[in-house]
Parts: sequence; C-alpha cells; structure tokens
Amino acid sequence: MKTWHWIALGVVFLISLVLEFGFMEIKSPHWWNHIPAFYAIWGFIGCVAIIYISKWLGKLFILSDEDYYDR
Amino acid sequence: MIVELLTVPAIILILGALLLPLIPERIRSSAFLLFPLAALGVLWSLPEGSLLQLPFASYELHLLQVDRLSRIFGTIFVMITFIGGVYAFHIKDVGQQSAAMAYAAGALGVTFAGDFFTLFFFWEIMAATSTYLIWARKTEASDKAGMRYILVHAFGGGLLLTGILLHLSSGGSFLIENIEETYTMASIFMLTGVALNSAIPPLHAWLADAYPKATITGAVFMSAFTTKSAVYVLIRLFPGWDILVYWGVAMALYGVVYAVLVNDIREILAYHIVSQVGYMVAGVGIGTEMAINGTTAHAFSHILYKSLLFMGAGAVIHATGKSKLTELGGFAKKMPVIVGLYMIGAFSISGFPFFNGFISKSMVVSAAGYAHFETVMLLLILASIGTFLHTGLKLPYFTWFGEKKSEFDVGKVPINMKIAMGFGAFFCTLFGVYPALLYNYLPYAVDYHPYTIYHFVEMMQILVFTFIGFWLLRKKLEGTPTIAIDTDWFYRKPAAAVRYLLVEVPNNLFGVAEKVALSAADKLSGLSKNPMQYLLPSFVHEGRTVKSDGFSAPMGAALAFILFGFLVASLVVLL
Repeated sequence: MKTWHWIALGVVFLISLVLEFGFMEIKSPHWWNHIPAFYAIWGFIGCVAIIYISKWLGKLFILSDEDYYDR
Repeated sequence: MIVELLTVPAIILILGALLLPLIPERIRSSAFLLFPLAALGVLWSLPEGSLLQLPFASYELHLLQVDRLSRIFGTIFVMITFIGGVYAFHIKDVGQQSAAMAYAAGALGVTFAGDFFTLFFFWEIMAATSTYLIWARKTEASDKAGMRYILVHAFGGGLLLTGILLHLSSGGSFLIENIEETYTMASIFMLTGVALNSAIPPLHAWLADAYPKATITGAVFMSAFTTKSAVYVLIRLFPGWDILVYWGVAMALYGVVYAVLVNDIREILAYHIVSQVGYMVAGVGIGTEMAINGTTAHAFSHILYKSLLFMGAGAVIHATGKSKLTELGGFAKKMPVIVGLYMIGAFSISGFPFFNGFISKSMVVSAAGYAHFETVMLLLILASIGTFLHTGLKLPYFTWFGEKKSEFDVGKVPINMKIAMGFGAFFCTLFGVYPALLYNYLPYAVDYHPYTIYHFVEMMQILVFTFIGFWLLRKKLEGTPTIAIDTDWFYRKPAAAVRYLLVEVPNNLFGVAEKVALSAADKLSGLSKNPMQYLLPSFVHEGRTVKSDGFSAPMGAALAFILFGFLVASLVVLL
C-alpha cells in the first residue's frame, strides 16, 4: 500500500462522514443509527472477528491434513 | 401436440441436448448457443397462466406454468446457459456439451413446472446431468466426488419424492402452491429435500466437495442452476416460513467462516455460494413482498456475478494448472483482462455501488429491517463483510498479487473465455447502473430505491474498513496446505469402516463358508467312494498288511449274486 492509497481511503471515509452527518435521511430507524460511523465500526470489527473466529475454529476442529480422507 | 411441446423452454433445451451429438464438431459449439436463444425468445413470447397440460395416469401434468416469478428465473437460467456456452466454446467434448444443455433444461423445467411430478422429473434430470460435469474432469478425485455428489442428490431426491407422495396421500394439492407453515411429515420431507439442493447446512457439503472438482466449464453451469432452482422452489412452496430466516442467516455466516479456511480458489467461491444463498433463504423466510422481490433479484444477480467469478477462477486453472492459494501468486500482469473482469464480479458480490450485488443484496437486507428482524439484518451485513473480505480481497490478492509461491507457466486463455467473462461483467454493471431493468420484472411491484445516501454511506464505510482490516491482518489469511473438514465427514470418513463392515466382513465370511463347504463336500465324496476304508481300517496280520478297503472279486461276485436274488424275489412278489 502506497501513501496515496491510504489517502484515497481516508478521503472516501471523509466523504461518507460528510454525507452521514450532513445529508443522510433515515427511513427505517434502527438502534445503531444513533452510533456515529456505525458501519465503519461494524465493518472493522466484523472483519477482524471473522478472521480470528474462523482461524480459531479452524484450529479447534475444522482444519486437517490434505490426505485426511485418504488415510 | 409436438408443436405445443416446443413452446416449453425446457423441451427446447432437451431437444438441443439430444441433437448436439448429431451435429458436426466444428459447428457444434455455435449450435449450442442457438438453443438458449430460442428458449429465451419463446419464454418471453408466452402469456401468463398454465399453458400446456398432459395427461399422466390419473393426473394432469402442467408443463408450462408461466408467471412473473417463473419468467424472471427462466430468463436468468437461459442467459447463463448462453454465457456458459460461450465460455465453453472451445470444448469439443460432446458429453459435456449435451450434459450442460440437459442440466439447463432441468433447471428450466423445474422453473416452469406447475405440478409436483413435473417438478420432480426435471429435478432428477438436473442431478444426473450435473454429475457428468464432475466426472468429465476424469481425475480420481473427480470420480469419487461425482459418486458422492450423485448419491447425496439421490438421497435428496428421495426425500423430496417422499414428501410429495405423503403430501398427495394426505389430500394435498397436486399443483405447486404455497404450503401452510405446519410441520407435518410431508412438509418436513419436502423442505429437507429442497434444503439439500439449496445447500442449507448441514446438507450443503456436496457443493463445496464437488464444485472445485468439476470441469472448468462445468463448474460455471453448476454455480448457477442447482442452488438457485432450489431457491425458486423454496419461494414457491415455503414463503414466510420462519425457520428459513434463521437457517438463511446461519448459512450466510457458515459459508464465510469456511471461506477463510479453505485453500482451493473454487472452494472459496463454492463456500460463498452457500453464504450468498443464505441471503435468499432468509429472504424467503421473511416472506414479505419486498423480501421475495429481494430474493428473486439476488438470485438473478448472484447467477451473473458468481458465474463470472467461477469463470475467472477457471481461467486461472486453465492457464496455470494450479488451483490452490498456496501454489499461486504474482502473475496479475500476465492476465490483466481476466483480473479486471474477475474484479467486476468481486465488486458485484461485495455490494459495491453501481454493480448488481448492490441493488439486490441491499433489498434483502432492507426487507429484513422493514420486517423488524434487526439482528438478522446486522448478521447479514456481517456476512457481506466476509464476502468482500474473501472474494474481493483474499482470493484475488493471494491468487494474482501476492508473492509467487510455486513454479508454473502462465498459458494462454482462449478468447471465448474472455468474451464470456465480458458478457458477465457487462450484465453485472448494466443491472447495477440501471436497476429498473431488473426491478420492472420482479414478481411484485417494486417500491425500493437502492441509490439512497444511506446505502452509499453504509457501503462506503463497510468496504473501506473491511479493506483496512484485511490489510492489517492479511498474513493471517494466507492459504495453508490443509483441507477443511465439513459435514461430508459423516459420509466420507466412516466410508472405510462401513466398507469393511458391509463389504469386506461379509466377503470374508462368505469366503470362509465357501472353503468349509467345499472341503466338507470333498471329504464326503471321498467317504462315499469307499465307506469300508473308514468302517474297517487296514491292519497288519502276520507281518503283512491286510487292506480292508481293497476290492475282492469273489466277495463282490457273491454280493452281486445276493443282490440279484433279492431283485428277482421282489419282482416275483410284486408281479
């Protein structure tokens, strides 16, 4: 990742914040609409949780050697 | 009657499947494309209603039940048959061509079936023909996977047929109608049979087992037909069944978890079919008009982008001969067109604005919100994060952009494969930019606007932060040379023990029994030759051996004379 990639991501996020606080209408309100930038938080936490929980489950019982069924 | 039969789209494709072997090889691939085009023309010229009935025993089969729902599903099935035909244009194997055509016919037949027998007939055609697309790969792994696939689908078909027969015997309608949400034996069997084809866990393992082992072109067809025709049947039979909401959410997340772990690129995509079909199953369970529209739209979008993704993965396998993340990497510059077209599919499945996943997935998620399933909504968004993480980031990064992990040459990809991907990418974008092209043909009138500021904000934030999460933790997502154990364990791992118990043990038992019987017979026959040998053993008398079993002519003559005397005496008495 080059610096300008990070800047581009930051700009997109900033635009989303401007839209969220300046122009967004909420047609069907949910409890999380009160949390600012909720979808950013959910996106990040979700991503990290999916990786860690899946890896943990993998180690726990899902993953096995490639010749598992041939043994 | 024959002319009327030709108005059934499925019959047109069956005719195609039968005619293809008779067509010369050099024009066969072109001819393949004509049949879906003909079917498309026919299905859009048909009015709504039950248009063709055939007497069958004491029933009347409804071969052509046309309404808005069947027409839109039929359209996408035909479209993907055409695109798949272009992708497989270079294939000369008539078996694969015919099987793919008949498979598409099965999906279309299910879509336009108005009664249960017609539905079941085409359901089974799908199972049989799709199996060939696995076997046609002609490897040991595909042979075994194909056998497992057809056995599982035979079991699923059996469940469905059992359900249908119980439904009919309890006075249920022969025609396909919504089934009331009561758990009877009939409805449970039918739901389980359809759930198996929808790849709802724990009945889903056949999908991730078989699709990565199918032929490169066959997997494209497979990614479209079986699960989506099952979703269609769910919409027809079980709309509004609550259990489907929770089942759908569970499978959306289940697929995501496994997609983190698996190493084969088509297996990652296969688990994301499970995940994406989860949205559709949840949509059927919610059952509102908006949810059914969302499910239909998402099935339509999904077929387009998922086949595009499978085509991209297939191009990688075609060019490199490799399919594992642990063996690929570092050759994006050698196939820029493929990477670009794949990324359009990846943007679509991830729900980027202006691509077709955005206009359909958001509809299902919003339908959950409007129906006050808030947790469901959040979990579906979580699954969507996983989709972008794997299909949009992990797979392309480690396949094309990461470091090269093994030595391989990058061969040429046939131009027809690129053109087919171009078609897929074009439609993914077209419906994303002009959602009305799809919305106008959904089962119910659409009062939904995907391009709101709310949705833009939602997707921008989710995508940006998922990307950041991926970039920070990308090392953790690297492929490992392992396999993921799934519910197919229950019929794969005990196979050796079952084979031992039911084949080898009885075989050995019969073997031993045969040996015992033969040696007993041998001994008995020896005994019956000369019983004296045993009754009066030989002995030694005055230094010489007296053989008691030896024949003595005078003794024999005397015995024969006595016997003859008895015979004469008995004849005299009798006469």
